[in-house]
Amino acid sequence: MAVAVVADRGAPITRPRLGGETPALEARDVVREFGPTMVAVDGIDLRLQPGEFLTVFGPNGAGKSTLLGLLAGRLRPTRGEISVRGQRLDPGSTEWRSDIGVLSHHGMLYPHLTASENLRFFGRLFGLDALDERVERGLARVDLSDRRDSRVHTLSHGMRQRLAMARALLHDPYVILLDEPYTGLDPHAASVLQSVLMSLRDGQRTVVMVTHNLVQGLQMSTRLAIQVRGRLVWEAARGEVDGRGFESVYHEVVAAR
Amino acid sequence: MTYLGQVYAIIWKDLLIEVRTRERVASMGAFAVLSGVLFNFAMDWTAVRPQDVGAGLIWMTIVFGGMLGLGRTFMLEASDSAFVGVLMSPAPKDAIFLGKAIANFIFLMLIAVFIVVVFSAFFGLDLGPNPGLVFVVLALGALGFVALGTLFSALASGTGMGETLLPILVFPLLVPMIVFGVSATSRLLAGRPVSEVAGNVRLLGAFAVGAVAAGAALFRFVVEE
Amino acid sequence: MPSATIRNAGTVLAVVGVLGVLILHWLVFFWVPTEASQGVIQRIFYIHVPSAWVAFLAFGIVALCSAVYLWLGDERVDQAAAAAAEGGMVFTTIVLLTGPLWGRIAWGTFWTWEPRLTLTLLLWFIYLGYFMVRSSTQDPQRGKRFAAVVGIVGAIDIPLIHISVLWFRSLHPQPVVMNVEGPALPAEMLTVMFVGAGSFLLLFGGIFLLRYSLGLAEQAIAVRARAAQI
Repeated sequence: MAVAVVADRGAPITRPRLGGETPALEARDVVREFGPTMVAVDGIDLRLQPGEFLTVFGPNGAGKSTLLGLLAGRLRPTRGEISVRGQRLDPGSTEWRSDIGVLSHHGMLYPHLTASENLRFFGRLFGLDALDERVERGLARVDLSDRRDSRVHTLSHGMRQRLAMARALLHDPYVILLDEPYTGLDPHAASVLQSVLMSLRDGQRTVVMVTHNLVQGLQMSTRLAIQVRGRLVWEAARGEVDGRGFESVYHEVVAAR
Repeated sequence: MTYLGQVYAIIWKDLLIEVRTRERVASMGAFAVLSGVLFNFAMDWTAVRPQDVGAGLIWMTIVFGGMLGLGRTFMLEASDSAFVGVLMSPAPKDAIFLGKAIANFIFLMLIAVFIVVVFSAFFGLDLGPNPGLVFVVLALGALGFVALGTLFSALASGTGMGETLLPILVFPLLVPMIVFGVSATSRLLAGRPVSEVAGNVRLLGAFAVGAVAAGAALFRFVVEE
Repeated sequence: MPSATIRNAGTVLAVVGVLGVLILHWLVFFWVPTEASQGVIQRIFYIHVPSAWVAFLAFGIVALCSAVYLWLGDERVDQAAAAAAEGGMVFTTIVLLTGPLWGRIAWGTFWTWEPRLTLTLLLWFIYLGYFMVRSSTQDPQRGKRFAAVVGIVGAIDIPLIHISVLWFRSLHPQPVVMNVEGPALPAEMLTVMFVGAGSFLLLFGGIFLLRYSLGLAEQAIAVRARAAQI
């Protein structure tokens, strides 16, 4: 099925373009503890440029979702610093939140609102202009224009997942964070997600995805990492390994810890 | 202007969901009517005059009915993690708090008006010469109540204990509202002059302002993870 | 300050405080003259009133430390708030136990809705909420923030609760020590009252420091246990 994929930024960019020196997403020695005995993320460093797509693999309980929550600014690091396009993720200011989009296996949608109402609601929270136009474009992007006025609880799981993509990308963020986005997707939704992700990478966005799904994780990435017990224990550029090679590396690395 | 837009978006969203599900207002309304029925059997109406106990019954029904609705505030948000999306948006946490509190205030005032009407009919309660003022007093009390209820409902939903925690946290703090609210209301129902309730109304206002300010300032520490 | 110093200081304060409390009881039972109008039962005031002072002082510390904790996020300040709350709960309980004993003789009933007694009861419940939320979250950090919020909101509301319960009804003997025209008690009674205040304050200080250093030690052990795991 053909899906219209447009990698435009919609409204003109008012923020100054940053030079190549400032990474799109940077984490310096980030630690997150849950109480004194539980360390979910234990000293992670990241430096990602526009157009990079990092996939973090790891077994359950490795702290992948915590890492993503930290990068999204949902969780505060116990130690260390995270910045997006040079702005520190400081809970006192909120500007950096417009630069980040998050898609998880939870849709983050209100079941009793319609598809377009959900998008309009989040659009208002982000203070977006030309909202009607953005909502229409967002719905078209995930092939849901005809279900604009359907309430979310009447949509199929796959449709909800597609709407969640539109919600995550409505404000056209520079950094997109994906938490197990392929969980429970039907083939159509998976192909939509695929082409959306491709357009993001080509549109010089920065993407971080965490997953335990080796096959789907590999397709898009420009960089790979394996997280075990809160640490990134293995990292490589996509070109350095092939699919089968990566699988054996993964099992080796996870078993060794 | 963005700030007001964000507050408004949250109110609009909560009202729209309520209009479609009617979950909270319907359950609170049914609670109010049924409470009235039980009060009828719980009291010997030949021994007490409705005018004497009416204010207390109205306020306690508002508090218990309100707890019913407030406890659900963030449970509804939790489905599908929609509220996580709200918290990750650039909307300031105090704007989110104000939006939720104002929406809850609208629901609670609907119920308060409904309770007064139903109790008037059930027990032949006379609102006195200043019915408008009765509702102003109710509104001031409801505002403070809703602010504390919204803050602590968010807090309770972040714990393992959930709604059971809410009354333990909120009831001790509601004493000023009950004392000033009930005394002002009962004087108005008794037809006393307005000057007699001015002091109570001022203190009720202080309670409301303090509760809203504390809620707006502290909400971010409750929802932050 | 090294935790050993804090612990030793706490032990010294607590020992002196306990001695003070023993002396206080001797004074109360054998030394101070019986008050003319109320009789023997009035002697319970030398324990009741200073406990109430300490209970409210402790809550002041809880509120202050809670605000600083939310502001700066320093774990030690939170430990101090929790330690003060535990001490405060003990003294609030003493007030709630001694008040009705006095009331049974003086007013002929264990409980009346006397304003200051009511306020203390509500304070006890605010302390209860403080401890309940503290231990109710998976992430202990979050529980500490929740407790701090309860402490701060309680502190903002307490003056209004005070006004409202005063306004509601007043049966309590008027303040006799903290009076604008100076204390109205005879010198001996005043001495005992201040011995009571002093020894309860020392005892509270001791409990506070011991609990605080214990909290720090607990944390250190948890961190060490984690290091051993890895």
